[in-house]
Amino acid sequence: MTGANEDKGKVAKLQTLLRTTSSRLSGRLGLPTRKQSEDGPDLPIARVSEEGMPGRGDGAAEDAVAAGPGVTGLGGAAGGGAAGAAGGTAGGAFDGNGSLGAGGLTREQLAAAVAAAAAGGGGGGGLMHQAPIPEHRVRKFHKLLQEPVVDLDALRELSWSGVPLTLRPQVWRLLSGYLPPAKSRQAHTLARRRREYADMVPEYYDIPHEERSEDEVAAYRQVAVDVPRTAPNVPFFHEPIIQESLQRLLYIWGIRHPASGYVQGMNDLVTPFLAVFLAEHLPGPMEGWGAAALNESVMLEVEADCYWCLCKLIEGIQDHYTYAQPGIQRAVFRIKELVRRCEAEVSDHLDSENVDFIQFALRWVNCLLVRELPFCLALRLWDTYLAEGTGFSEFLIYLSAAFLLSWRDRLTRLEFQDLILFLQRLPTADWSEPQLERVLSEAFILRSSYGDAQSHLRQG
Amino acid sequence: MSHKPDDDYDYLFKVVLIGDSGVGKSNLLSRFTRNEFSLESKSTIGVEFATRSIQVDGKTIKAQIWDTAGQERYRAITSAYYRGAVGALLVYDITKSVTFENVERWLKELRDHADSNIVIMLVGNKSDLKHLRDVQTEVAQAFCEREGLSFIETSALESTNVEKAFQQILTEIYHIVSKKVLDSEDNRPKIGEGRDVIVIDNAHDDGGKKKGGCCS
Ligand SMILES: Nc1nc2c(ncn2[C@@H]2O[C@H](COP(=O)(O)OP(=O)(O)OP(=O)(O)O)[C@@H](O)[C@H]2O)c(=O)[nH]1
Ligand SMILES: [Mg+2]
Repeated sequence: MTGANEDKGKVAKLQTLLRTTSSRLSGRLGLPTRKQSEDGPDLPIARVSEEGMPGRGDGAAEDAVAAGPGVTGLGGAAGGGAAGAAGGTAGGAFDGNGSLGAGGLTREQLAAAVAAAAAGGGGGGGLMHQAPIPEHRVRKFHKLLQEPVVDLDALRELSWSGVPLTLRPQVWRLLSGYLPPAKSRQAHTLARRRREYADMVPEYYDIPHEERSEDEVAAYRQVAVDVPRTAPNVPFFHEPIIQESLQRLLYIWGIRHPASGYVQGMNDLVTPFLAVFLAEHLPGPMEGWGAAALNESVMLEVEADCYWCLCKLIEGIQDHYTYAQPGIQRAVFRIKELVRRCEAEVSDHLDSENVDFIQFALRWVNCLLVRELPFCLALRLWDTYLAEGTGFSEFLIYLSAAFLLSWRDRLTRLEFQDLILFLQRLPTADWSEPQLERVLSEAFILRSSYGDAQSHLRQG
Repeated sequence: MSHKPDDDYDYLFKVVLIGDSGVGKSNLLSRFTRNEFSLESKSTIGVEFATRSIQVDGKTIKAQIWDTAGQERYRAITSAYYRGAVGALLVYDITKSVTFENVERWLKELRDHADSNIVIMLVGNKSDLKHLRDVQTEVAQAFCEREGLSFIETSALESTNVEKAFQQILTEIYHIVSKKVLDSEDNRPKIGEGRDVIVIDNAHDDGGKKKGGCCS
């Protein structure tokens, strides 16, 4: 039910975290709340050190107390986060003794990995932009990934707080259970899975329309309507070769999962996988990618990886997409309950304005919040979901509540119409990692505070 | 709390946009309320909401429009929004006859979930794609005459008839309502057997602001 990161080691880290964020938590506990900024999301006065984020397996305790570059004053500085975080981490990352990395990496290799991550989107706001990950974390990833049998629990714990861009393909395959942790079996499994997928294409897809059932034709059409509307802000996804690939994989997914079939919004769920697996074959920032560099067989491999990872992602949340979407209705109900318990003022206000959670949170749950965030942050979000494993849908409840509450002050000032308009287009366009990290850590705290007390609501 | 000018209205009508996925409901809405069109708009998950006020016979009519997801899977959730709606724009795509064939099913949805006297307008969208036309105007016209629906063809892309479509359905509703207001003793406009309130009030407007048609 709960992810891998609620073990005992976490308790100590959490306590550290709670100390660091006591000002934030006080609001939650009904104590006087912190100051709020007028514009943009309600940012805390001081952001907890990056290393103090939940789930960091590496020396969180020391780092959390050290008022290093991680503790960034963010009051009223919405949107300036990227530059601040980038500058801060760069300052802290390379002043250590980085001559030889733990996994036998040279300082140069590490620097290259870190720089690649930073350059992911051509600097500031690239589509796959990632703020630099501290060198010692990158080294930990490399060390874990070099083991003959990858320690998945350790990898989950490390990944919860973000996976370096260049390692995402490998780490995501492992975390989603697509790739086995034993090195010796990986190449074989990957080849077999890709072949299996390649065989599905002629079986399900490359057949004349007349041979499809009525439902299948309808599914084909629905996918065809959605594919061109997928991630409109990511131009590369609109290359014909990618569009075709999306059409195939979503259609095949739907046919092979008849309990739900393809449901609108699933197209959004593939996009993080697609970007990350494509990046293995296309050099440089996404903005400069050219479709000419992709041939059919490479594309088919990428497509297969996306397909299997999508299967794994949706496996635990099938009932989000079956008739009447009971899983989503339950999740939305739980988000509402959670908000009511921890911030009654907000839920009372929404109630009194006749705003129902389903009016905005349906899309949040249906698309796992991808639609609410800039694309580069969807990638970051995937790190955490995949690290959570099958329990991620549970975490989504806390995340959604934390996300909503990040606008608590604004919400309570708005009336029905403006509330709805605001909630369906939340101003996250200028968000970068710091804002998302804060919501993630708030969600983590919410789960720690309310997780068990909520258990009576879980069944059903 | 100060009110924006568009919050000064005489009547508030709730209207729903329904029809198959991809026919252009969201773009009709964005064209009408924000004068925006996008070739690559995202699909609607659940419902989306927008408003705009227009003038009819010197009265300010505020339309509160709920745009719904087209895929059948969402219908269990979106049909809840039909309640209280006094108008429905049922949209199909003139280049895809299957979306017109499904109009019957959408009418049944309305019969099952909406007020029996809801004003329905059939909208054939994408009229700019003349070379791809798959549903003849006369066929749709004849269908509407049989079913007692109003009919219009629009292009959200070229902004053709979009304004007119909304203007027309809102006017039609207004005429029904104002007639009911005159007929009605208690000044509570209703339609049908009085089951559903025709003018909805979200209970957050200063009572005196509206000159008529409000029932709280
Ligand atoms: N040529 C043309 N294209 C249009 C027109 N209206 C919408 N489109 C396009 O049709 C596609 C679907 O439009 P949407 O408005 O998203 O369709 P929808 O009915 O809201 O679809 P769902 O949200 O899935 O139910 C988009 O690519 C639009 O750009 C139109 O009048 N002419
Ligand atoms: Mg839509």
